[in-house]
Amino acid sequence: MQTLDRRNFLKAVSGAAAASVLTVPQSFAATAKARVVVVGGGFGGASAARYLRLLDPGIDVTLIERGTRYTSCPLSNEVISGERDIRTLQAGYNGLARRGVKVVHAEVTQVDPVNKTVATADGQSFPYDALVMAPGVDLDYSAIGGLTEELAETRLPHAWKAGPQTLLLKKQLEAMPDGGRFIISVPKAPFRCPPGPYERAAQVAMYCRHHGKKKAKILILDSNDSFSKRPLFEEAWKALYGYGQGGMIEWVSGATGGIVEQVDATAMTCQTTFDDHKGDIINIIPPHRAGKIARDLGLATLKGTWCEVRPESMESTAHKDIYVIGDSCVGGELATGNGFPKSAHMANSQAKVVAAALVARLNGLPPPVPIYTNTCYSVVGHDWGFSVVHLFRVENNKWVYVAKGSGISPVTFGTKEKPLPVPRSYRKMEVAYADGWLRNLLADSFA
Amino acid sequence: MTKTKTLLALALIGVCATASARGDIEMLARTCNGCHGVGGVSVGLSMPSIGGLPKEYLRNIMKQWKYDERSAITMNRIVKGLSDDEIDALAAHFAKQRWVPAPQQASAALLAKGKSAISENCEDCHGFTGSDPDVDAPRINGQWAKYMELELAKYRDPRFKMPHRKMKKAAQDMKPAEVPAAAGYFGAQDK
Repeated sequence: MQTLDRRNFLKAVSGAAAASVLTVPQSFAATAKARVVVVGGGFGGASAARYLRLLDPGIDVTLIERGTRYTSCPLSNEVISGERDIRTLQAGYNGLARRGVKVVHAEVTQVDPVNKTVATADGQSFPYDALVMAPGVDLDYSAIGGLTEELAETRLPHAWKAGPQTLLLKKQLEAMPDGGRFIISVPKAPFRCPPGPYERAAQVAMYCRHHGKKKAKILILDSNDSFSKRPLFEEAWKALYGYGQGGMIEWVSGATGGIVEQVDATAMTCQTTFDDHKGDIINIIPPHRAGKIARDLGLATLKGTWCEVRPESMESTAHKDIYVIGDSCVGGELATGNGFPKSAHMANSQAKVVAAALVARLNGLPPPVPIYTNTCYSVVGHDWGFSVVHLFRVENNKWVYVAKGSGISPVTFGTKEKPLPVPRSYRKMEVAYADGWLRNLLADSFA
Repeated sequence: MTKTKTLLALALIGVCATASARGDIEMLARTCNGCHGVGGVSVGLSMPSIGGLPKEYLRNIMKQWKYDERSAITMNRIVKGLSDDEIDALAAHFAKQRWVPAPQQASAALLAKGKSAISENCEDCHGFTGSDPDVDAPRINGQWAKYMELELAKYRDPRFKMPHRKMKKAAQDMKPAEVPAAAGYFGAQDK
């Protein structure tokens, strides 16, 4: 009969913990078997740190994040319209600290993939056995003439990273005169939160309708020719605010002149390939790319913009022992146009995959079979919401989009032969579910 | 190595072997946490806690959603991507978790109204506090009241396909004001 030495005994103990979330006795967990550093404390990074500790308390986990408080982008459009207090979207890092995550608030300046260390601006250095990169997206201001980061923080907020700019855009909206024009410029896909710009248009319209700005116009200048949950948005826009000619909301596709190339913050105009548009508020969402620290490290292998990873583990294709999750990575069934959406829930799901893969690897156990899911709600009125769900599996080391387990809320009710409009009560329920989803997602990432 | 330690280690190898066989279902179950909370204990008022609900109940509703025998807002889409075996395993997994009630505050007036409403319509199948259900019914003591109101609204609306005849009838027999009262009453129960 085989006997165990102490090392393998520890493996067995934490292996059991890994798979069934048993509590490892303190005396066995005291010696860290591996050091994992997580860079970035958004939904992805926080969830990764949390699940690593949940699955194996024997692993030493350090989370490095600049900010001390995180604001959820999901549902932050409701803050702009005054429907939601921004504090309901915030989470701190005490929950993770209580789970034994070493939380370090610092700016990561460099990663050395050879010596396996992470350096921060304040001169600290963190050695790692495995590194999880979750830096989120960088916004490329230089892609639009006349736009700068400074302008985004003052006159032309993108409000695409929830926080001070969300509140700034809300203030601008409150000050907008009746008959004013609110322009939203949408970057070329892929970008964070695919339905976000269109939900924002609805939230702005709702605010205007209920706050004496019934003559306001919302103009969406889109760099793309279609968009997420389109039939659902168009139905709601039409029913609630008026859409198209004479309506409150107008959408211009990329092919018909929606691509903004230049902005003038003094004249408050933006220039597209076809036309100039004057706005009282110009909300330019600049094009996205993987966070700088990931690009600097050479992880952005797809056109220098996005980080490619391995389906079974989320490990970078560029560097061993470095994993990339969240909005910086690219994955899914790209050939059929079913890539991973850049969403909070997707990042949370990827984090669970990376945590399980790492725990198995660090314990010498066979790699688990990953599964990826996404749920994302959009709220377009007091009593009107809808959602999309995604399911991805991994077969033969490739992501497979499972169409049967994916899709948007129904566009019609009843049967194929006898379609009926979807009951308003159904749309209203999704508003309630959106709130419950966000609360659980925050807890599943930060608590 | 002492004899005790060896025995403990062997016991743990046993756990480990079982665990790795179950590994995939754990991975799948974790995807539910995003909306239903870790271990199926929800902190979102509109999302139900599912940890500790009866296996039969969980399996039935997931299969009903999958085969379009029951309406839902989101779950009917999600479960269509799962195999029947996965549904069975998920039901077994969450049934094994501890039921953690989240008793919510309710006014004395609402509780009194709720108590009278539930004794007529709910108690038979769910028990006086919602903690002693029939085999095909969920526990609802300390379940989120907001969720239960939404669920009752589905049972009361003929456009929603809800297959449980007895539950449907009970929900439809309730007066509109009894719905939040009954939900509030069960939501307030800790045991």
